[in-house]
Amino acid sequence: MGSWAEFFQHLMNGLTLGGIYALIALGYTMVYGILKFINFAHGDILMMGSYIGLFVYNAIRGELLGFWTIIAFFLSMLVGMMFSAILGMAIEKIAYKPLRKATRLAPLLSAIGVSFILSNLAAWMWGTKSKKLEYPFDNSPIHLGDIAVTPHQIMILVVVVVMMVALKLFIDRSRLGKAMRATSLDQDTAKLMGIKVDRIIAITFAIGSALAATAGFLIALEIKVYPSMGTMTGLKAFVAAVVGGIGNISGAMVGGILLGLIETFGVALLGIPYALRDTIAFIILIIILLVKPEGLLGKAEKEKV
Amino acid sequence: MVRKISFVVSMILMVCFSLPLFAGGQTETAAVETIKLGFIGPMTGDYANYGQLISKGAQLAIDEKNATGGIAGKVKIQLIIEDSEGNPEKGLAGIEKLSSSDKIVALIGPVFTGVSFAVGERVQVEGILMVTPSGTHADITNIGDYVFRTVPSDGLQGEVAGNYFYEVLGVRNLGVLYIKNDYSQGLYEGTKASFEARGGKVTIAETGQIGDKDFKTQLTKIKAAAPDAIYIPNYTAEMAQILEQASQLGLNIPFLSSDGFSNPEIYDLAGAYTDGVIYVGPTKVAESDASKAFVDKYTKTYGFAPDSFATNAYDAAYVLFDALEKVYKASGKFDRKAVRDAFAATKDFLGVNGKINFAENGDLVAYQGLYKVEGTTPKYLGAYTVVDGKLVEVK
Amino acid sequence: MLNFILLIFIYSGIYALMAMGQNVITGYVGLLSLCQAGFFAIGSYATAILSVSYGWNFWLTVPIAGLLAALAGIIIGLPTLRLKGDYLAIATLGFGEIIRNIINNWDSLTGGPMGIKRIPMASIFGYTINPFDKWAFLGMVWIFVLLGYLFFKRLARSRIGRALEAIREDEIAASSMGINTTKYKVWAFALGAFAAGVAGSLQAVFTLSVTPGPFTFMVSIMVLCMVVLGGMGNFIAVILGAFLIQFISYFPQLVGLSNVIPPQFKQILFGLILVVMMIWRPQGILGRAPRMSISGIRRKKRTTSNGGESGDTIQGGSR
Repeated sequence: MGSWAEFFQHLMNGLTLGGIYALIALGYTMVYGILKFINFAHGDILMMGSYIGLFVYNAIRGELLGFWTIIAFFLSMLVGMMFSAILGMAIEKIAYKPLRKATRLAPLLSAIGVSFILSNLAAWMWGTKSKKLEYPFDNSPIHLGDIAVTPHQIMILVVVVVMMVALKLFIDRSRLGKAMRATSLDQDTAKLMGIKVDRIIAITFAIGSALAATAGFLIALEIKVYPSMGTMTGLKAFVAAVVGGIGNISGAMVGGILLGLIETFGVALLGIPYALRDTIAFIILIIILLVKPEGLLGKAEKEKV
Repeated sequence: MVRKISFVVSMILMVCFSLPLFAGGQTETAAVETIKLGFIGPMTGDYANYGQLISKGAQLAIDEKNATGGIAGKVKIQLIIEDSEGNPEKGLAGIEKLSSSDKIVALIGPVFTGVSFAVGERVQVEGILMVTPSGTHADITNIGDYVFRTVPSDGLQGEVAGNYFYEVLGVRNLGVLYIKNDYSQGLYEGTKASFEARGGKVTIAETGQIGDKDFKTQLTKIKAAAPDAIYIPNYTAEMAQILEQASQLGLNIPFLSSDGFSNPEIYDLAGAYTDGVIYVGPTKVAESDASKAFVDKYTKTYGFAPDSFATNAYDAAYVLFDALEKVYKASGKFDRKAVRDAFAATKDFLGVNGKINFAENGDLVAYQGLYKVEGTTPKYLGAYTVVDGKLVEVK
Repeated sequence: MLNFILLIFIYSGIYALMAMGQNVITGYVGLLSLCQAGFFAIGSYATAILSVSYGWNFWLTVPIAGLLAALAGIIIGLPTLRLKGDYLAIATLGFGEIIRNIINNWDSLTGGPMGIKRIPMASIFGYTINPFDKWAFLGMVWIFVLLGYLFFKRLARSRIGRALEAIREDEIAASSMGINTTKYKVWAFALGAFAAGVAGSLQAVFTLSVTPGPFTFMVSIMVLCMVVLGGMGNFIAVILGAFLIQFISYFPQLVGLSNVIPPQFKQILFGLILVVMMIWRPQGILGRAPRMSISGIRRKKRTTSNGGESGDTIQGGSR
């Protein structure tokens, strides 16, 4: 590690990476909180939303200039989010709902099946080449001393913070959020209290999928849009959700940012070959799980007879 | 329980063993006026892009040939494409299917080195000619006499690259950012060896993983090490990320690259950052329209431009047609051994990439082209090869 | 055509070994492990390295491959077995990726991304079991499957097998009966890993070269699919599951459709079959519903308190 400038550069890179993980992790954790299963198709929902957003953006961008391209960008993102939300709900209804009473492994496998279908459908319909999403603004870096920060990184941070605060408020304060918490705590009791559990589950899927689409669209500016764009990022985000304590909203946020920082600084500080980055991330994951098996912010469950 | 199991098992066995009956019948009737060529490459999965791009090169050649009537003007050619997913296990299944169900005469592919090794052992035993358009590992052609390639081995490319960087570009301290896959690492090792043999030094070599999109950490480290130039022997998707992120980090060091850069997709993905990149690629026939005509036709037919590997596949197909034609004219049938011998005897065949000849071991006798990108247009600098450790420009 | 069918049976056999191992871990003890790909890789590389770099006979490398995998299983198992359900899944998945990562980066031993080429073929009494001579290789693979089956079948009926099932049905009750649950869980992990290691060894002499690329977590997922699709806890069912998954994967090639339909359709078909199978028969083809409940994996009334309606009413016949 060279200087302070290098430190802040890595910090900035780590925070943006972590913010993206956190957004995706939220979807995993919300679904897990209520249905107790890993939605393996989450990364593919992210990819589908990004494609739709990209198409909308390319269609409406046209000759727009300056400020208006940014409006168009966010509008497209919104359409992508809505598409993902509907897709998420549809998948839940078709592939997971019939399995709610089955063993825990059945929906997991069903989700893997859905993941296969979505990613290959996208490859067939839209081709396997990466598609570029144009920046809605000039992305040349802003130099603060020796640190280079791109407007894109700033946008990611802003959107991530806004989304997280909104979600946290929604879950903690709104009636719907309360119903969600109740459902995740105890579905039967929630049902008895007059909560429409099926509807709550559908809404959970919608929100989680929309957040994934947001994350996908944001990173697409940099990593482009392609059929397997969600796979590895999704897997890492899932790790983040587990580290934070799966089922816990704040945990997903903390876990995501932590993972982003660990990945960046693990290589930068410790001088580990970059190719071993994932190894470091997974080893830290395992250490955290061993020390605190329920994740950083998860609640320990006592096993009683 | 036992009855249920035996029922299921016997059903499956019945289905399996009845399949050859009708499927086999089909191939027999169809084989009269067509011959089949196989292609193996990743058509789905993370590397699907490469399989799609390269298979289209072979397909275009075959469509063109069929439009003129086919081999010797009467035997039509059919290309059977099998998906390897970039995995030797699937690749082996592909060659098994191609050889036992389709009875192919020759194979174009596989695309990747790992699959090429597994499939190469298989075709050698079976006696099927295999021509890989993109398997660059130096040892592939040493599997046996049925294995050829229309791409220079990474041994040659590394030698030319290392010498050219040192001698012509005057680079002394080289930074490298390569991906831990066989293609990138092979080129890195080859280039490093020849570059350091000349007296240069690779001062920083950073790695990335397959599928990585974020290279800021490595680039930040490379920036701190301040080499004279950065060598990025990777595939398009990664190089686009690297160039863009390097610019974001304010990294103003010349970039050097490999034939992976010959894919014009790079200009779609990172067109704003390609100016000044120098890369080693295929040679060009001076004053020949073949290359331009091919690129135009390919682009018009498929909606996207070919890379150098797709060009290699196109050339492979035409060299193969030539061999098939000779064999057919001599014997009236397509004996696999005869096809192999005719292919090996190819002399100065004029393909899109220039004159094609094969060395004793099946390697392409080749030179390397050097390109410098101006804006988004690669400018040809000339062809080079290395003789006795010395860089020689080929006129 | 016949050769292609034989190839499917060879792959089925190799995966059946892995699936039986997974079945001990998941079907018997009820631990959701996603690490078979890692053990498979260790087995493959053990055979590749020992026979290429040290000139060992294939038959000597098989037990070493199995033991090394089992050792890795113990190393992974000891710390992670405290974890429950999905936490264990993600930790083992992480280990699988770590193994692949190490292989990809330990160039001096494993050849890194270049892998190891030209692995000598297996031979017995001077007769070479050429992977291109499908019948002989098929015979060898299925002898291994048969041995594995007999071993596991016997194990299941032994004291250890009963202990493992007891842990699956109710860990707390089992431990209060004096069963050392950690010990048995580690045993299960080691046995499961051993089977995958042997499978890896066979794979190495079939492909005759190994590269780190194929050993992704998708392999582990596939193996899990085989176990669940066949029917958990039943070794015949698991072998059938392995065959079915392979058969489905290669079906388009078998009927000569792979060149006609877009290549993605094969994968989409695979996904559809998974979804439909799970909805139609979540307990697997030969699975019996009541025996399917696994304490580590299903929804638990006692611990998560979410599911008064869940598993137990439908699945909980075992208690």
